[in-house]
Amino acid sequence: MTLMLIGLAFAGMRSRLLATALTIAIAAAAAGTIVLALEVRSTGIDPWDRTFSEANGAHVLAFVPSRGEAVAIGRLPGVTERGAPAPRVLATMRSRGHDERVELAGSDRHTRVNVPLPTAGSELRDGGIVLERSFARALGIRTGARVRLSSGHGFVEAPVLGTAVVPSQPRYPRHKPGLAWVTSVTLARVEPDRTRWRWSEAVRLRDPSAAQPFAARAAAALPPARPGDVFLQTWQSQRDDALGDAQGTQVIVTMFTVLLLLVAFVVVAILAGARASEQHRQIGLLKAVGFTPRQIGLVFAIESAALGLAAAVLGFGLGAILAPRLAAPSAETLLGSPSIAANPWHIVVACCVVLPVLFAGALTSVRRSTRYTALEAIRAGTVSVPESRVARAVVRGAAPWPVALGLTELLARRRRTLLLAAAIAVTGAVVVTSLSLDATLDSRPASEPSDFPDELLLLVYTLDTVLLLITATTLVAVVLLSVRERIRDYGVLKAVGVTPSQIVSGVVGSHTALAMLASVVAVPLGVGLYLVLYAIAGDSTEDAVIAPWWSLASIPVGTVVVVVAATSLPAWLATRIRTADALRYE
Amino acid sequence: MAPILEARQLAKTYETGGAKVLGLRGVDLTVERGEFVAIMGPSGCGKSTLLNLLAGLDRPTAGEVWLDGVRIDGMSETALARLRRRKIGFVFQFFNLVPTLTAAENVELPLLLVGRRRRSARRDARELLDALGIAERHGAAPAQLSGGQQQRVALARALANRPDIVLADEPTGNLDSTAAREVLRLFRDARDRGQTLLLVTHDPSVASTADRVITLRDGLVADETELGAVRQVPPLLELQSPP
Repeated sequence: MTLMLIGLAFAGMRSRLLATALTIAIAAAAAGTIVLALEVRSTGIDPWDRTFSEANGAHVLAFVPSRGEAVAIGRLPGVTERGAPAPRVLATMRSRGHDERVELAGSDRHTRVNVPLPTAGSELRDGGIVLERSFARALGIRTGARVRLSSGHGFVEAPVLGTAVVPSQPRYPRHKPGLAWVTSVTLARVEPDRTRWRWSEAVRLRDPSAAQPFAARAAAALPPARPGDVFLQTWQSQRDDALGDAQGTQVIVTMFTVLLLLVAFVVVAILAGARASEQHRQIGLLKAVGFTPRQIGLVFAIESAALGLAAAVLGFGLGAILAPRLAAPSAETLLGSPSIAANPWHIVVACCVVLPVLFAGALTSVRRSTRYTALEAIRAGTVSVPESRVARAVVRGAAPWPVALGLTELLARRRRTLLLAAAIAVTGAVVVTSLSLDATLDSRPASEPSDFPDELLLLVYTLDTVLLLITATTLVAVVLLSVRERIRDYGVLKAVGVTPSQIVSGVVGSHTALAMLASVVAVPLGVGLYLVLYAIAGDSTEDAVIAPWWSLASIPVGTVVVVVAATSLPAWLATRIRTADALRYE
Repeated sequence: MAPILEARQLAKTYETGGAKVLGLRGVDLTVERGEFVAIMGPSGCGKSTLLNLLAGLDRPTAGEVWLDGVRIDGMSETALARLRRRKIGFVFQFFNLVPTLTAAENVELPLLLVGRRRRSARRDARELLDALGIAERHGAAPAQLSGGQQQRVALARALANRPDIVLADEPTGNLDSTAAREVLRLFRDARDRGQTLLLVTHDPSVASTADRVITLRDGLVADETELGAVRQVPPLLELQSPP
């Protein structure tokens, strides 16, 4: 019996190839979105952890007045690895006529802990300087530029060889002075008086959780110093500083992830609803030939599982291919050279979203079928006249009749239409949020410290593009499903005298009208979302700038363009079927 | 005067699973204005195929279809749709009402197609439904109507634009005897108003109401019988309106 039920499930999928392909495509898009969102989120939220790991970060970073004290800290019990003591000098850096304080760290090949991770340009060599990336970007200094370094006792004209990041250095300009690396030889030329050098020692501990007690022990072991001469920084405080820096990024990426997941959920819900209405008829037919509701439930559960698993695997592959490219901008905000590998656990998460929704759709149909007679179940999936007389009257009064005809069809499938409108509205709102973020960043003076890294905007627009693609794909799939369900009706309309172009204009026009309504909702929704995001990110909303009106007006216009492009082809394809064949269509 | 509808050596071949199936094998047919013609024959003889080709719903493999002096078998889908609006009314066995429109809206549809204003279309649709005895059900969805009521709405839709010819494919095939009698009465009324009717049926009692009966067999015209003269006295079948 089980084999027969499995055979029946697969025969069902084979007999409805287009529906099966669409189901897999939409569910795969949803699964891909989930994988993508998880990957992008993980690179956006946890860059410090990976930077720390790649840089072999210091569990404790000590700043002390002398080399001897630095060496002594490296020899304390509990230390498993230490870098060579690094000299540090506070200097002035002149670039393009502008002076800026800079902390120069002497770096050499023996640096094994808290290693600077290059992000651009070449490695450090005598006579040159490598700037911490946020410092270089804030000052607009590019690789190859020349800077003058001076300490009052000496100076050096040095070419900028490249940029690098370390997990211990919070982002400039929030944390001043900026950091740069030179060789010890160059450092000696900038500050020939070695008594003015300070030293740092980076150590890794056997028990990283004991970093705080270790720092206290190290401070006690050192000779008494003037306040401020000794500073011990644990890995926890480094992380807190970095997370404080990335708070704005985290809030925005998290919010975008949630919105992507929301759209993914809407997409799968639309699909499940469409399948459910299709399944009613099949359930009725199976009941008619003697299957019990339990057996029918099993058939659809097998079908949902097969489709869901296929979609999850496909979506995971899609997400795994796209994630490194899309997550790169996010990773760039803190990490040096990210190597983003798709996490296999994400396929489980994707399954957890896609499969239950598909199962729920199928089981709801089966549950309903137990209340129906076989004949009622066969009829249950068909559409009827929309219930709301007011909505019908408005549609009839306000739209040309081909569009009114299409809108009536949309009203007849109210749940699907609402979900589609929600997906369009969320996408539009996210674009409004991005435009407003862009406007806010543009309105700030270049020298003002910002909570948002430059790359954030690139990441946000990348996520916008992903969301737009998914919504457009959903739109195509929904229209394909709708026109497929209505092929027989289109045959009737053509038999009555409706031309193919009138049918196309009805489908396209009605979806465009729906999208226009959704995009009008999207604008205030997006503005509200942006203000909430801005407030959560730490700033008051007083200096938040909303995107200009012409930019907001482009949302409905852009929506219309996308909707017309996405719906025209499926609608046109539906009218290509010969009238007699359409009338026979089941 | 030229016949309203003419088929010349009409043939249609289907491909099913790689095998060719002959639907029609060269049918010649002429229907004069105001005539009521019934097409009969066993299942699979090509009745519905012939009707679809005559209405321009399908394309013949060979042969010609002429409607009111115009050859239509090579017309585009758009041109055919425009032609059907004014010249052809079609009634299906399974009614084929648009499920998302009410009964009245289904009848209004052809009127709107020819450019009538909504208000005027609505008024005419109500009048038609009233004439067919289902005015009180004008706001009902097709799914809420009985088979007989749906077929009357379908007939109202087919007659709305007063087309030159009404083609009907087994219009009583899905109805009980009472509803079938009522629908046939409506067809006779239409014929009495001078409209041309071409009706496919496998029911001899339905065919007996026609002026002429054409019998198809294996995709060819096997027989043709004039009933008009015979029916003068006594009638072959006395149809009664429902009480």
